[in-house]
Amino acid sequence: MDNLVLVGLTNVITFTNISLILGGTLLGLFVGAMPGLSATMALALLLPLTFGMDPATGLSMLAALYVGASYGGSIAAILLRTPGTPSAAATVLDGFPLSQQGQAGRALGVSLFSSFIGGLMSGIALLTAAPLLGVLVLKFGPIELFAIAVLGITIIGSLSQGSVVSGLLSGTLGLLVSTVGMDLITGTPRMTFGIINLFSGIEFTVALIGLFSIPQALILIENAHGPQKVASKITDRLVPPFAEIRRLLPNIFRSGGIGIITGLIPGTGGDTASWFAYNEAKRFAKDKSRFGKGDIAGVAAPESANNAVVGGALIPTIALGIPGSSSTAILLGALMVQGILPGPNLLTDYGDVTYTLIWAVIFANVGLLLVGLLFTRLCVSVTRVPDSFVACSIITLCVIGAFAINNSLFEVGLMLGFGLFGYWMNKAGVSPAPMVIGLILGPVMETSFQQSMLIGQNNLSIFLTSPIAVVLLCIAVFSVLQATPFFRWLRVALRARTQAE
Amino acid sequence: MKMRGAYAATLLSTLMLSGAAQAEYSAADEIKVLQGFKAGGGSDALAQLTQPFLRESLGVEFINEYLPGATGAIAWTRLTKQSPVDGSVVSITNTPMLMTNYIMNDSIHYSIDELTPIANVVTDPGIIVVPKDSPYKTVEDFFAAAKERPGEITVGNSGVGGDDFFSTIMIEKATGLSFQKVPFQGDGPSATAALGGKIDASFNNLGNVYGHIKSGSLRPLAVFTRERLDILPDVPTVMEKDIDVVAGSSRGYSAPAGIPDEARKELIAAFEALKENEDFKKTAQERAMNLDIQTGDDYGQMMQEMEGQFEDIWADVKDEVNQ
Repeated sequence: MDNLVLVGLTNVITFTNISLILGGTLLGLFVGAMPGLSATMALALLLPLTFGMDPATGLSMLAALYVGASYGGSIAAILLRTPGTPSAAATVLDGFPLSQQGQAGRALGVSLFSSFIGGLMSGIALLTAAPLLGVLVLKFGPIELFAIAVLGITIIGSLSQGSVVSGLLSGTLGLLVSTVGMDLITGTPRMTFGIINLFSGIEFTVALIGLFSIPQALILIENAHGPQKVASKITDRLVPPFAEIRRLLPNIFRSGGIGIITGLIPGTGGDTASWFAYNEAKRFAKDKSRFGKGDIAGVAAPESANNAVVGGALIPTIALGIPGSSSTAILLGALMVQGILPGPNLLTDYGDVTYTLIWAVIFANVGLLLVGLLFTRLCVSVTRVPDSFVACSIITLCVIGAFAINNSLFEVGLMLGFGLFGYWMNKAGVSPAPMVIGLILGPVMETSFQQSMLIGQNNLSIFLTSPIAVVLLCIAVFSVLQATPFFRWLRVALRARTQAE
Repeated sequence: MKMRGAYAATLLSTLMLSGAAQAEYSAADEIKVLQGFKAGGGSDALAQLTQPFLRESLGVEFINEYLPGATGAIAWTRLTKQSPVDGSVVSITNTPMLMTNYIMNDSIHYSIDELTPIANVVTDPGIIVVPKDSPYKTVEDFFAAAKERPGEITVGNSGVGGDDFFSTIMIEKATGLSFQKVPFQGDGPSATAALGGKIDASFNNLGNVYGHIKSGSLRPLAVFTRERLDILPDVPTVMEKDIDVVAGSSRGYSAPAGIPDEARKELIAAFEALKENEDFKKTAQERAMNLDIQTGDDYGQMMQEMEGQFEDIWADVKDEVNQ
């Protein structure tokens, strides 16, 4: 076994492979930074290229692309308030305010280092604990997935800045929109008005681009003749000071752990993990008031988590032959082309190729740090471009991105519709973030609920048969209580008692 | 600099084509292939397998256009209603999805009568698998349990309208048993749920679970083929148990109705030639794809039969599903 680990390592360390890892990372960064272009899409398009390559070379390049794209999404999220990938949506909340305060370089630097550490953690977990963690994956069925979704929904409460009611409204709208499309159990189209483009539901990325990017572009245009914005100084350092990294380290480690676990569970990925990590960062923070206004911890958490998802999602892939996400499904396809049938024997029978993939992920994270430092420095100059130009570029990118998802103009129209709605939300002071969470978790929650009901013969007590589900649901109840006046009263009462003693 | 690049590109494409062009395709220099699913999925895998070989034999370039949505119906509507009928556009057609789409949904308007069936290429046979520690050792055990506890044995499938959903109903009708059907989003999640013991059994496809069967984490009970499979000689067919069910998920190529006869013949001949191509067979085997090449009218008949079969089934179970 140790032997195979070393074989994998030597497979990766060749001139060709290392240069392809760097190339793949750069390509991934670019793809990730573009709203609408996703890692999955780029992987699928690059896959045929690897058919003729040596397995180690092909896999290294694909893994690097995947890793690069997971970080790339944060660049546009921080600089332009347009998440480049769905998993960078949480980064917008604090990343963009930092950029507005002229600290784009600092935010990007912290995002890069957090991504690097999160990614490296998951790579090491993959190398050392994949078979162990793989067993955990099978414990998560529909019942447990439902509990996770319920827990995720409670994040909406803590995200509602200002008015709780508007946050809940936004979240409910997200859940409502997520029900568009064919019902999983009956196949009946719901709220599709006979338009077959809506049968598969509303593409989450389309809504995301519309809700965040278009309003931002419109606001930039509105203010184009107003006072000059704060441009980031070129001297703004990308490499964060050691003290700052050390202060953020517990947060980054916690978020990385959340990312690995969320990645491992089939059905949840980077988009969910980043919100969980953001929420926990806020829960553990001493001063919660800075969140949403430019707290650097709010950048570190989601970024560490969404890169840790890469390794996490690969764990079931290599330990059991089950893809943990749509991107890993394509990596699994790449293995099949090399004559490897997916199954639980990837680490033993095909260990040489599998360990090559694992090492490639680890090296790609190192590559990410190097390439990222160069690429990101270039990106910071976006803050010096006049707003009106930036606004036009954002809209152009949004249109291209929305079109690229399904190669159809319908999605472009839909995206613009969401854009106008997002603009209205912005003016009305309703945050789009809860809506995004509703959109992500709505389908997971509905599907897993229906499946659980079928498995449990329509008996709700099925949720009490799984210890994992019970624990997760209890945490969810606790989270909700935490936000109610009752809990505040309890805390005050408790404090009064301890003081009295 | 630019010139040199263009020159290199021309040279490269000439080199790639020169070994190829024995027979020219009469209808076009390029064939656009509409795919109803995302890049990197099963349809794409078929395209990546077949098209390099077809490019050589037909002397054309293939351009894949991915139009995911409505389980393929967007691409197939485009193929039948909005594509030129000169033989320059084809689509990868997945059965039974191709028919169940419009059988089950009134808002989907195309039908197989608006197609020119070219060739089916692969069929992934249906299979019943159970978790490795399942009490059911044989398919008889499994059916006996379903008889004892009707409607309580949970059976996963790849989603309403998919082949696994319909094969479950076909088994139910043939045996008079009833299962608790649990739809998942694709046959991968359905297999995962069986691996974790979250459901009693999964009606799945061989290609998707073969790795798990080989390593012993899933136990095959029966396959839905006419004869036993070479790679699973110990697994019985349900036909052997006097249950007349043959099912699987197939993928092939179709053009819109009314393409020139010459183009149709050339396309069919190219697929016929694949039957004899050892290289092609070897590549397919390496990628775990089960070849089942049926061209022209044979493919057309296969579609007709399926359409009739699924229309009957759906008419029967419609009210039960849409309760």
